[in-house]
Amino acid sequence: MRYAPAILVGRLTRFAARLRKPGGGSAVPGLVVNRIAPKYLKRTLSGFPQGLVVVSGSSGKSTTTKMLVAILRAHGVDVFTNPSTANISQGLTSALLEQADWQGRVPGDVAVLEMDEGHGALVMQGVDARVVCLTNVMVDQIDRFHDSEMVASMLARIAARAGESIVVNADDAYLERLAARVQPGVAVHRFGVTDAVLAASPRGLGYTETSDVRLSSGTDVLVETVDGASAVLDDAGASVSIGLPARGVHYAVDAAAAYATAKAVLGDRFSSSTAADALSAIPAVFGRGERTTVRGHDVEFVLVQNPASYQLNVDSIAPGTEQIMFAIGSDVRDPSYFWPTDAGSLGRVSIVSGSKSAEAALMLAYDGVEIDRVEPDLGTAVDAFLAMPAPASGVKTIVFTADAMRRTRAHLGLAGAE
Amino acid sequence: MTLTIVSLLPRLQNTNGDAENARVLATRARWAGLDATVVEAETAAQLPPRVDAIVLGSGSDSSLDESRELLLTMHDEFRRWGTEGVPILSIGTGWELLSWGIELASGRSIEGLGILPGRSVPRANRVTGDVVVKSPRFGMLVGFENHARDYVGAEASPLGRIRAGHGNGRDSGQEGAVMGDVHGTHLHGPVLAKNPVFADRLLETMAARAGLEYVVGERAQTVDAYASAARAAQLAAAGVSES
Repeated sequence: MRYAPAILVGRLTRFAARLRKPGGGSAVPGLVVNRIAPKYLKRTLSGFPQGLVVVSGSSGKSTTTKMLVAILRAHGVDVFTNPSTANISQGLTSALLEQADWQGRVPGDVAVLEMDEGHGALVMQGVDARVVCLTNVMVDQIDRFHDSEMVASMLARIAARAGESIVVNADDAYLERLAARVQPGVAVHRFGVTDAVLAASPRGLGYTETSDVRLSSGTDVLVETVDGASAVLDDAGASVSIGLPARGVHYAVDAAAAYATAKAVLGDRFSSSTAADALSAIPAVFGRGERTTVRGHDVEFVLVQNPASYQLNVDSIAPGTEQIMFAIGSDVRDPSYFWPTDAGSLGRVSIVSGSKSAEAALMLAYDGVEIDRVEPDLGTAVDAFLAMPAPASGVKTIVFTADAMRRTRAHLGLAGAE
Repeated sequence: MTLTIVSLLPRLQNTNGDAENARVLATRARWAGLDATVVEAETAAQLPPRVDAIVLGSGSDSSLDESRELLLTMHDEFRRWGTEGVPILSIGTGWELLSWGIELASGRSIEGLGILPGRSVPRANRVTGDVVVKSPRFGMLVGFENHARDYVGAEASPLGRIRAGHGNGRDSGQEGAVMGDVHGTHLHGPVLAKNPVFADRLLETMAARAGLEYVVGERAQTVDAYASAARAAQLAAAGVSES
């Protein structure tokens, strides 16, 4: 009964928010409930019978969370999870409200939460997690996270909430140092890639600092081989074949992270074949390499979130792709940290757009890319790009940051613009 | 005759893409029809025999000691480059390491190489954001700053006066430090791409030392139009006019 009044107010707020913006989700109900019942979030998160699992890190946390949830559900576990856009405090509370009964109780055996590395340390104060999975440390928006040290220290605070175990990427030197300082009694599980997989990624895996040595086969979960959209994991010496939601070593690493975390959560109940089936059945991840049909054209959407994903995604665009649009939005305050990347393989870009279009064009030009047009207004640019006749080679490809993606989808009336 | 631009310690000192300014210089030289190459040097042994310009970017505080040790092995070279007029662009902690020294918030001091006057001192809060600097040599410079220390002792020879942002701080109203052709600045990232006049002054110096002539290439004019648009957006946001 304690939270019934707050839940009622939250529900009414959500109702009001939906009247104002039909179909849209909103963080406002969460904000309201956090204000009038400040302990609701902590108590609810700490109250799941089989505990709380948190996934955080600079990159790959959405994919890893989705994969982990899929594996757990395939094992018959009732999972509460948050949509990836709701990974900060008010969004989390809003997500809980979606599932809560009138007293605020949320059904589920276990909660699996994707946690923003910046807000997570704050959200997790006073919250007890069972297992914390950390994906990697990369420099993200530079004006938000000044350097890798800061990201690592925020992740350390999240990891400190784990009561049972942490699961870390052994190829990330920052996370390995963090794992060395875990409290007594907390187990450390690891995932990583083999030397051969690392060697096949000429630009590395994008971590700020890669560990000097790889894990050896036997105790942990290793990415043994990656071939297009399929991979083989080495689970304590046994080979497990899986399908990936898209091409790319980073998806295989995310899968290894989810696999290792599911093992930590399920213990004896874990089945490698159930996990492999669940991983292989995951649909393509939203936004990254997503192929769709818009105004009669095949269009590929490519989302870039940080320099590492930018480089991986640019490298994966087929050479000779004739029509490419680039859109860098206001979510990138200062694009400087993208400059070490190289988009020279694209050769030519049809339109550069977004509020940072001039800076993006400047960067592409120094990579040796020819630019046909710079159009800061995203709607105008999208219309012009789609109005171009179908390309002779490759599909129309739009590379965008998260903010530009939302605006593009909203402009085209596509789902997921929120 | 190939112009050789050295990118120093790119492994440790490229946090914000500052080291890419070496590529900007080489690319603009090629657009002007000159041969140019970028050599990455992590140690003194990797330095090429001929050096036409040096770019030393910014790193994180945790790499200050390691970078300093490496730079100390090139101390004589730095003194010689400074005397001979080899253009040097140092940014953020790279600049701080070339100064008299760095005072850390912990109270510890790190001795610099003493190539540029002044020292960095802790400030209460980190500053991040757009900067606009009016420089007597390079005109209106735009950039992005991200630093947790102020800089004192460069009052007699700054890069320019602050029109927006913090710069050297301590109420100096100034940004950067310059000694001959050695430049230190807080302006992160591709400062030479966004400020082509700055890049071209350095290239003119490099060319003159090598007995070459630098004339801005045709391609550079196209690309500089993107820089102009980026500058205009940043100047408008800062409420500063270009002149």
